[in-house]
Amino acid sequence: MVLELHVWGPGFSLPSVDAQCLATIAYFSLAVPKDSWVLVASSDPTVSPTHELPALKNGSTWVSRFRNIVDYLRQYSEGAWDLDRNLSAHDRAENIAFSSFVESHAQALLDLSLYVTSQNYYNRTSPAYGAILQWPNQWILPPQLHAAAKTRTEPLGLSSLDLEATEEQRKRDHSAAVAAGRIPQNFISRPRETVSNLLGKSSQQHQFRLEALTGDLFVPLEELLDGKTHPSGQTPSSLDCLLVGYLSLALVPELPHPWLRDSMQRKAPRLSQYVERMRQEVYGTVNVSDAFNSGAGSSLPWQAPERASLASIGTSLLTSLADSTPILKDIRMNNRLREAVESPNAGLSQVESKAVSQYVQGQGKDILLSVATVVGGVAALVGYMAHTGIFSAAQEEEKKEKESEDFQPAMPESMSVADALGF
Amino acid sequence: MASNPAGHDVPEQRPDSRRVPRRVRDFFSVPAPVKRIFDRFPLVTYPANDLPHYPGSGRQGNQLFVFIDATGARRGRPSFNPQCLKWQAYLKFVGIDFELVPSNNHASPSGALPFLLPALPIGIGAPIPSNKLQKWAIEEVHCEEEQQLNVRFEVYSSLLDNRIRSAWLYHLYLNHDNFGAVARRLYVDPSTTNAAVRAALAAQLQQAARDELLKSSPYIDASALEAEAAEAFEALSTLLGQKDYFFDRPNPGLFDASVFAYTHLILDEKMGWKYNRLQQLLSQHKNLVQHRARLLEFF
Repeated sequence: MVLELHVWGPGFSLPSVDAQCLATIAYFSLAVPKDSWVLVASSDPTVSPTHELPALKNGSTWVSRFRNIVDYLRQYSEGAWDLDRNLSAHDRAENIAFSSFVESHAQALLDLSLYVTSQNYYNRTSPAYGAILQWPNQWILPPQLHAAAKTRTEPLGLSSLDLEATEEQRKRDHSAAVAAGRIPQNFISRPRETVSNLLGKSSQQHQFRLEALTGDLFVPLEELLDGKTHPSGQTPSSLDCLLVGYLSLALVPELPHPWLRDSMQRKAPRLSQYVERMRQEVYGTVNVSDAFNSGAGSSLPWQAPERASLASIGTSLLTSLADSTPILKDIRMNNRLREAVESPNAGLSQVESKAVSQYVQGQGKDILLSVATVVGGVAALVGYMAHTGIFSAAQEEEKKEKESEDFQPAMPESMSVADALGF
Repeated sequence: MASNPAGHDVPEQRPDSRRVPRRVRDFFSVPAPVKRIFDRFPLVTYPANDLPHYPGSGRQGNQLFVFIDATGARRGRPSFNPQCLKWQAYLKFVGIDFELVPSNNHASPSGALPFLLPALPIGIGAPIPSNKLQKWAIEEVHCEEEQQLNVRFEVYSSLLDNRIRSAWLYHLYLNHDNFGAVARRLYVDPSTTNAAVRAALAAQLQQAARDELLKSSPYIDASALEAEAAEAFEALSTLLGQKDYFFDRPNPGLFDASVFAYTHLILDEKMGWKYNRLQQLLSQHKNLVQHRARLLEFF
């Protein structure tokens, strides 16, 4: 059986635009024999039941996320495809701790560099997604990923990288100043903001903050390598895959505002060399076209993704419409989780699936509550409108035309409008 | 029926074409009598409220505001919130005296507990939020800044701040049995006796936890969260080894406090967990269990 690895497609001359996918590709390329797997740049999270990429498909079984895929590979191959099998207890602890460290800290910096920094997002990241996604997903998915990256990095308080957020803030300050009457409206100047002048002048404290964040990530990693070929000695481990996956996205993309690459090369020269070497070793040279031509001449076993059928385009349009409707969204989210859990192949033990089912049922109650709230609110509004006579105004209009002078029937009529709406 | 002066009491008013837009505008505009009342506001501007005072305290020592019940505060018991317990334990370990004040997030200037009102300098009393507590403690008692001593500190902290914290959030707020038995009793019921407000608070708490978990992944996978917590405990157990405290220190410090904040609450039988998978995972590592018992003697 050939394993199918579904990932976000290639971009920035890397085999994927997503760090978790890159890490998983690295793991496959290091651990799994080349004829046992194929790489599919499906770039559509809806292919897997959990709506996540990377996702591994083996027959009818789906496994998603780096950690779960690594666990699945170990069980599937009975330990043969396990890069971590020879680690000592100490190395294993280091491996776990550094994995968690890279996943949390590097993800935040990648979000900032590729998504939140507006110039980088609009000039590079968004076009990169455009090249791998099919219509209509290229209009739906990138804004979702952009928004998710912004929410993830919000607590770091580095909104000055984000020109949209700065603009909103400036407008708020502006209208507040005008409202307070302190400044005559035409005296308020409108400076044209760019990331470089924001970083250069007006937000030095944000620059200090960025320095601290990059230092937090790169200094421990630089020390971890310390003259070794791999973090855990002579052979690569799963930590190598995460390092090359996350850090090649920091190092390789040519961005208009390359603050992350600059600080990585400055603070961690050994780490940069290591990532460059590992990248060449596991990914080779990647062209976007390889992924769609079943990759002759590429070092990765690409398989061209299926072209979207009319049905799947329709489904994805409907899905995105449903996902942006407030209550419908919750119901769908809920059903998605339930399906994944109750299917016997989900790999959950009985206790676990029972616990998750209970959670899903709890969610169901929440949704009923919000439906009830909305229905109640609408009913109250309609009732109030009927009460103050907004409907009777229209009614009145007709009556006037008929030169009738009796306004009384307006009320029962308006009530029947409310009845007709089903309350 | 709301009295509407421009309404249908004046049928002679014409032409009709102007009536409908006016009616709609009237509907959304503020009625004149209400507007007159609001024009008078604010009648009086009161000075800002003081920070809540704990009736029993004479305000002599440092006061640490944490989530805790009144009897627990008097006896200096551990708080039931991991963040609060971390700083409570840290201040105890470095030897700073303080008294506990039961509080909640609304009392805090930063919106989150814990925070500390220092005894000195008298009169200024600027509260110290939790992210500045370590700096303050270092100035007070000249203890070491442990992050600087070992580069592994931040790396292993990420296990606590991400993996164990996510598992904790799921375990406490999203597990149905535990939420009813533990979180509702500790966080929701003490705030109010009103059933409607309780229901709203409970829903808010759960939604906040859910949003936090959905930030990092598109759906919540309970078994993955537990598996990651299990790995994290394994790594911490290896890091501790046979030593008394983390990083081979003679006295417990900030890292010990951070670990203790979770291990104590997971192992504490008084919490009344209904479903405690984390406790099963943690109990496999005897040295972490002993570490928690050793630190519990400080309380």
